[in-house]
Amino acid sequence: MSSSEQPARQDARVSTGVPGLDAVLGGGLVSSGVYIVVGEPGAGKTLFANQLCYHQGRAGARCLYVTLLAESHARMLANMRDMAFFDSALLPEGVYYVSGFRTLEEQGLPGLLELLRREVRNHNASILVLDGLVQAQEAAGSSRDFKKFIHELQVAAGLTRFTALLLTSANGPAVHPEYTMVDGILELRERTQGVRSWRELQVRKFRGSATLHGVHSFRITSDGLEVFPRLESRVQRTPPPDPGAHRLHLGVPSLDALFPEGLAAGSTSLVLGPPGAGKTLLGSSFLAEGLKQGEHCLYMGFYEPPNRLLGKVASAGIDMGGAMADGRLSFIWQPPSECILDVLADQLLSVVRRRNVKRVFVDGLSAMQQASPEPARINSFFAALTQELRCTGTTTLFGMETPRLFGPVLDVPMEVGPSAVAENLFFLRHVELEGRLRKLLSIFKMRDTHYDPTLREFVVTPQGIEVLPPFSVAVDTLLTGLARHPGAGHF
Amino acid sequence: METVLVVDDEQGILEALADLLREEGYRVLTASHGREALERMAELRPDLVLTDWMMPVLDGPALIARIRAEPAYKDVSLMGMSAVDVSSLRHLYPGMPFLQKPFDIHALMRQVRKALDGKQG
Repeated sequence: MSSSEQPARQDARVSTGVPGLDAVLGGGLVSSGVYIVVGEPGAGKTLFANQLCYHQGRAGARCLYVTLLAESHARMLANMRDMAFFDSALLPEGVYYVSGFRTLEEQGLPGLLELLRREVRNHNASILVLDGLVQAQEAAGSSRDFKKFIHELQVAAGLTRFTALLLTSANGPAVHPEYTMVDGILELRERTQGVRSWRELQVRKFRGSATLHGVHSFRITSDGLEVFPRLESRVQRTPPPDPGAHRLHLGVPSLDALFPEGLAAGSTSLVLGPPGAGKTLLGSSFLAEGLKQGEHCLYMGFYEPPNRLLGKVASAGIDMGGAMADGRLSFIWQPPSECILDVLADQLLSVVRRRNVKRVFVDGLSAMQQASPEPARINSFFAALTQELRCTGTTTLFGMETPRLFGPVLDVPMEVGPSAVAENLFFLRHVELEGRLRKLLSIFKMRDTHYDPTLREFVVTPQGIEVLPPFSVAVDTLLTGLARHPGAGHF
Repeated sequence: METVLVVDDEQGILEALADLLREEGYRVLTASHGREALERMAELRPDLVLTDWMMPVLDGPALIARIRAEPAYKDVSLMGMSAVDVSSLRHLYPGMPFLQKPFDIHALMRQVRKALDGKQG
């Protein structure tokens, strides 16, 4: 059998051109499949279909875009013109727009089917988009007629080898009984909670391969759609590499002396404390120490822009400006409003993988937690994030705010998010002692290494952070912020 | 009364154009693709064919080719319109006027008038 006689691969994939979506679909759409894209008006269906067409057109494919009662082609193209994927040079050979509405009106579904078959053949199209399936559904005499239309389109797709996207507005359930015979159903939707809204994609059905289950975030920018697969759905199942004897320190000698063996490489640590307690300085010191060791480091922050942060830590003797300038220190700064959890994870992991980052400090974990509209997801998300970071051999420090500056109540969310998965936990606290406000540090837990659990005062000087020796007098309840001598009242 | 044949697969645009041209005093024929346009022309020869470019069944370029190949239609003026960037089409069809969709109605009427006047000249 010559190569030209080889049967075409039945499982060849059609790349969608939407970043992240092919990964969700297990490699893209299956060639010659018929797919329904369902979503309310404004969900992004038309944009998605156009993005796919221009992506395929750029690769040499011919795409036929048939509208029913949709916006005019001129208006559609005007809307696409500012998108990065749009290329007017692909019109009309690569992407061809026609209307099938009049044919549907005059000849019903049989006429529309004939038009689709004929135009696909005339244009030698390998991609067909039918925008406005709901019009065809409404024009069908019965549910049986509509099913027959879908079935015959599917037969035509198999025979003529084109892949079809049928776009329809949500009308009742996303998975309509009439849609059961198609090869896949993709649902796009926008959800709102209070004044905030976000976009989600879900693969409701897909024949031919496994897909990433569940709901995935996507956003629409001038680049088009971008899907961020839910981190938990694609987390690596393999155990992280054994760090062996590789240990590392925070770069504060008097603090590192409390756990002489150091932190295990690839471990996750959490620094808890109220605002101003020194989390950022501790985390920056951790990164500065990594830079000294020749490691690439990453700072991810939500509140202080890079220049302000560099100035702040420089005043405490931590110089990272040079490393940022020469690219050894990467910086992700994301103002906390309107973040999407999976976008943040994607940004972080992309830099870690691309730059072979060995130390990460995430400053302001509360902002990351607030990015999720579903608090129930936080634990599984952070478990997945730390697993991904461990698998890359990255040692991570998360800084997390506790809400109270002082008081007898200790707000340590031990069962939530990163504190549930962190191997090492540092706790910072303000305490009023002998008429002075002091910063206090303690190690709550540290896995696989001995550590000094005594409570220590630490100070920040222009030369850096210094952890002081244990208190020389007996003082209790320091961690509550209201110190007292044993058997006596508060100081 | 001058006759204009408007050819467009988008029903809304076809009807809107037909109404506007009628209001301007033209007799208007309509077709939703090239083959239907040829059928209309066989019934009543228009003075001007204003045709969309991307259409099912028989598209704009094929319609133009068929009209130009028919000696009986040598006096029929031709004008294209498209959502595609028409500057490239102007290069391919020198001398033939093109309208870029979406277009200004006044510009459309001026172009139609000019095409018909050119024919008379």
